[in-house]
Amino acid sequence: MLTYEPGDSLAHRLDPRTKLAVQVAFAAAGFAHTTPTGLVALGVVAAGCLRAADASPVAALRDLKYAIPFLALGPLVEAARLGAPWFDPEAAVEPALASVRVLLVFFVAAAYVRTTPVRESRAAIQRLVPGRVGVALGVSIALVFRFLPLVRRDLRRVREAQAARLGSERRLDERLSLVAAGGLRRSFARADALALALRARCFAWNPTLPEIRFGRRDAPGLVLAAVLLASLAF
Amino acid sequence: MGMATEHESVELVGDELVGNIARAALFAALMGAGSYVSFPNPISPIPVTMQVLVVFLAGIFLGPVWGGGSIALYLAAGGLGAPVFAGGSAGLAPLVGPTAGYLWSYPVAAAVVGLVVHGGVDIGDYRVSTARLVGAMVAGTVVVYAFGTLGFAYVQSVGLESAFWTASAAFIPAEAFKIAAAVGIVRSDAIAAQ
Repeated sequence: MLTYEPGDSLAHRLDPRTKLAVQVAFAAAGFAHTTPTGLVALGVVAAGCLRAADASPVAALRDLKYAIPFLALGPLVEAARLGAPWFDPEAAVEPALASVRVLLVFFVAAAYVRTTPVRESRAAIQRLVPGRVGVALGVSIALVFRFLPLVRRDLRRVREAQAARLGSERRLDERLSLVAAGGLRRSFARADALALALRARCFAWNPTLPEIRFGRRDAPGLVLAAVLLASLAF
Repeated sequence: MGMATEHESVELVGDELVGNIARAALFAALMGAGSYVSFPNPISPIPVTMQVLVVFLAGIFLGPVWGGGSIALYLAAGGLGAPVFAGGSAGLAPLVGPTAGYLWSYPVAAAVVGLVVHGGVDIGDYRVSTARLVGAMVAGTVVVYAFGTLGFAYVQSVGLESAFWTASAAFIPAEAFKIAAAVGIVRSDAIAAQ
């Protein structure tokens, strides 16, 4: 699965804000230039991003499997006709370009996920979003990362208990309701315990964050983001 | 790595806000965990996931503001790399990909469900009439599929009709089961005294 991996590639050493800027600018440029020429140029940029992150495109593609039916179906459905000639290849061109664009954005985003630990993402959000909203957002994002594996385990336990009692023979809405109610009860209990722990530890508006700083190595990344954004004007 | 130390005096976060942040974070985690839970669908080959059910429950139990906020938090955590989107995927790509419309619809749908159930922005008693609960979730479902269809049409450059038949039609019938499940949870008092 696509996830953060420690390393010392160029992308690992960049400021997380630079990487966020490149991603957003890349996605915007992708939507503005969904033409063969535009996508070739963006493809070069995407390859460069994967290279900078020391990531393999094949491994990145494995994570995209959920989207592949949609990417393939879009062009096919648009080109299908309910009468002769049954298939109009010209109508498939634009949706096919759109699918390529999604693929390229995916590569660039994969480079971010692979090279950025949670604490850096949190620090970036807290510095990009001003004031207390940023602090609350940063803390909450870190908490979601922290609790996701626990809640997944809670849900798995409920399902195992359900299967052991032949609950899998029940109607779908009853099964959904039992699993969701179990997950909900445990999540509320965890939230209460967490709130208590946060208060006991003097949860404050000014926590200590890891230092993130723009360095000289961020310059090419920031220039790339600026160029991609400038391309929107053309 | 060095630490950016704050030297001012410590300012504590208020108790009520701490409770709301904790619940929103746990609901966002539940939403993410829900993407790993799927059931066989009795009426179509497409499996049913728990996610839209969690969107409904967020609106019902947390109200429009914190319910919508918790689902928005789910999107933010996923965008920054938490493996919470379909099939455990993560990062910015799903948020601009073919199913992006669905993802962006979730916080809006949770807020709509919360608004109808609680009858306004403030949180009240969620144990309202069944008709109102169902009406709220039907409105939420309309938001989800409207955003989902528009998003697919825009991202994949296809017409609205193709988008509806490719990305929406097959998923809609299963929503009835999720609405029934949510009504069951509220009626059973399984989550008493929240």
